[in-house]
Amino acid sequence: MTDDTAAPPVLALRGLRKQFGQKVAVSDLSLDVPAGTMLGLLGPNGAGKTTTLSMTTGLLRPDAGTAWVLGVDVWRNPAEAKARMGVLPDGIRMLDRLTGAELLRYSGLLRGMAEGEVVSRAGELLEALGLADAGSTLVVDYSAGMRKKIGLACALIHAPRLLILDEPLEAVDPVSGETIRQILRSFVAGGGTVVLSSHVMELVESLCDRVAIVAEGRLLANGTLDEVRAGMTLQQRFLSLVGAHELGSETLSWLRSS
Amino acid sequence: MVALLVGLRWRQLGHQLARNPWMIVTLIVTGLMALGFVALLAVGLLALRLAAPESAVTAMVLVGAVIVAGWWVGSLLVSGDDALAPERFALLPVTARTLLPGLAIAGATTIGGIGTTLALLLMLVGWSVNGVAAIAALVTVPLALAVCVLGARVITGVLAGWLARRRARDLVMTVGVLLLACSGLIVNLVLSALRHVGDVGEVFGGLAEVLAWTPVAAVFGVPAALVDGDLVAAGLRLLIALATVAALWAAAQALLAARLVAPIQSSGGGRVRSGGAVDRMLPANPVGAIGARSLRYYRRDPRQVINVVMMLFLPAIVVGVLVMNGLGDESLAFAPAVVLVPAINALLAGTIVQMAIAYDNDAVALHILSGVSGRADRYGRLLGFGVIAVPLTIALCAASCLLVGRLDLLPASLGAALGLSAISAGAGAFTGSFLPGRAPAPEASPFGRGSSGGVQSLIAMAVMSPITLVLGAPALGFAIAAIWNPALGWVSLACGLVIGAAAVWGGAVLGGRILERRWPQVLAEVSSES
Repeated sequence: MTDDTAAPPVLALRGLRKQFGQKVAVSDLSLDVPAGTMLGLLGPNGAGKTTTLSMTTGLLRPDAGTAWVLGVDVWRNPAEAKARMGVLPDGIRMLDRLTGAELLRYSGLLRGMAEGEVVSRAGELLEALGLADAGSTLVVDYSAGMRKKIGLACALIHAPRLLILDEPLEAVDPVSGETIRQILRSFVAGGGTVVLSSHVMELVESLCDRVAIVAEGRLLANGTLDEVRAGMTLQQRFLSLVGAHELGSETLSWLRSS
Repeated sequence: MVALLVGLRWRQLGHQLARNPWMIVTLIVTGLMALGFVALLAVGLLALRLAAPESAVTAMVLVGAVIVAGWWVGSLLVSGDDALAPERFALLPVTARTLLPGLAIAGATTIGGIGTTLALLLMLVGWSVNGVAAIAALVTVPLALAVCVLGARVITGVLAGWLARRRARDLVMTVGVLLLACSGLIVNLVLSALRHVGDVGEVFGGLAEVLAWTPVAAVFGVPAALVDGDLVAAGLRLLIALATVAALWAAAQALLAARLVAPIQSSGGGRVRSGGAVDRMLPANPVGAIGARSLRYYRRDPRQVINVVMMLFLPAIVVGVLVMNGLGDESLAFAPAVVLVPAINALLAGTIVQMAIAYDNDAVALHILSGVSGRADRYGRLLGFGVIAVPLTIALCAASCLLVGRLDLLPASLGAALGLSAISAGAGAFTGSFLPGRAPAPEASPFGRGSSGGVQSLIAMAVMSPITLVLGAPALGFAIAAIWNPALGWVSLACGLVIGAAAVWGGAVLGGRILERRWPQVLAEVSSES
């Protein structure tokens, strides 16, 4: 790495590129996430957010470029890089014929943790996220919000230094949502780093201190929350970057006539 | 509305095919199998028509009843992924009255419906023993198809509430696959039982006579009565058939109307016993955890429950067929060969291990994200499989030796079965890393469209079989020799254990190395269908 700043970035994406057939999903994307920050990754549907996160976490091999986690190349040295990451993927099935407690124990043991530690942390996580009562229900029978929560618990159990969360608060009720925000804030306060993707501007504004905006596979803006906002609300700034889709006065006029 | 729904049905199929080339292969294979079945039916009917025209009537009624019953029972198995489920129309301003004709005709123009129409038309060959009957049969083809399609709708409609529970769906699927797997044996058993009772032809004749008066086969009873020149019976049976269709139509419409305003939501199966025994038994490390998880899935995932039960049934079926074909009387010399039957499970062992990732579908992403080594993945899955397969194989070997009263052949039996199964499992662990196959998504019906794992698994089988046969030759060879010289059984057992262990080790190491290079591709392959 050519970075010569004092604190090297926890996550460094370098020239990531992915093409599906004719469609370029992610094009030459580079991004640094410094330690102890929470980065909100924003972008319209199909902007390449999930593709980027998949290439960062080892689920999708990039056509070019790579990702570095704490100075370890995800694609050269996957085991070491993955040990430092906790990931909550979106739109991917979980091993849902396990109960929540079993899934959590499984995630911990796969990470090579000692059994006693897995058991005590799993109990704490289930309690904190309000899943203790659902301990003997199969994950396949969980609601969407409960699945998000157990997925988050699986990402946290090995106390990673970097959390990568795809839509962490989607479908989560307000009470659990506040719990998750508290967990993430104290994680960052303790020196941890979070990358989360979201469509909810208010969530990003209230939770994140850094923002990156991608559209059509390219990075359009990246910096601290205030730098990116540049005096506007995040919503306005986002629309001005991505391009708002103004409805003409005649479009959908039939909707008003009834 | 009718054209719209039929068009919708076909467009859905078209899109599915366009998205997934493997499905075209599956469709062609299924289509060829269906054509083969229809051709078989045609040949059988023609033979019957020429050789024994007098029993043709009985056969026609029974074949018709089987087709109808097949639709009714089969509808339960594929109910899981009904592309035109009533719930999908719940938000639209349509009534059951306007919707049902389209849904019924869409159901009749599926691949199954077209195949059934072909089969019904072929049955005219059998009816041609009598001109009037043939014409009546031709005229009642739409009626018979209506009984099939509407009956299927009513049965799934009535049981929809029950089927919405995951436990019920799992149960239906498991029982369905097992019945299908054992169907040959069951037919054999019933036939031989009938043979003991008395004249088979007479029993069938009586059965057909009774069925012809019931809703299931009344529509086929009409031409049957005409062959006998019994116009009164024909008229009455036609009335029964018409009443059946009318009643089914009314019931289907009522059920549809009810579901349009009260959609049935799929629900879960409640709580499970989460025994810690499995966890205590296996080590608390990645390999042990993957083994314990595999064991839980063998119990909780219906697709894998079927695999495990098949390991028990396949040898039983083979022994059953051997016994039934008169092994007991003239060819007594081959009786000891029964102790080698448990080795047939090697066929299953390879495929079960090879398909393990495909059954996980994209949930295997957890293994990738957590950076678990490919070798631990392979060893863990082999461990979970072994915990079930080893005791099961030993029990089967002991049972087969007891059956023929040759306990001295136990080492040979164990050597062949354990050796071949272990080698095959090792080959599966290796092959599964680059040919993981495809399984229907965890929640989809294994009978539904999209279970195209078959073709890729056949290729994998072509890789695994030679490996198993070559490496397993010593264990199997000495086991066969042991039938004449039981002492050689110990050589077979030693060969089986040593080579089997080596194959498991080699499969896990080589497969693990390939997996680590190919994880993203494997993930894409096993999840591409969903």
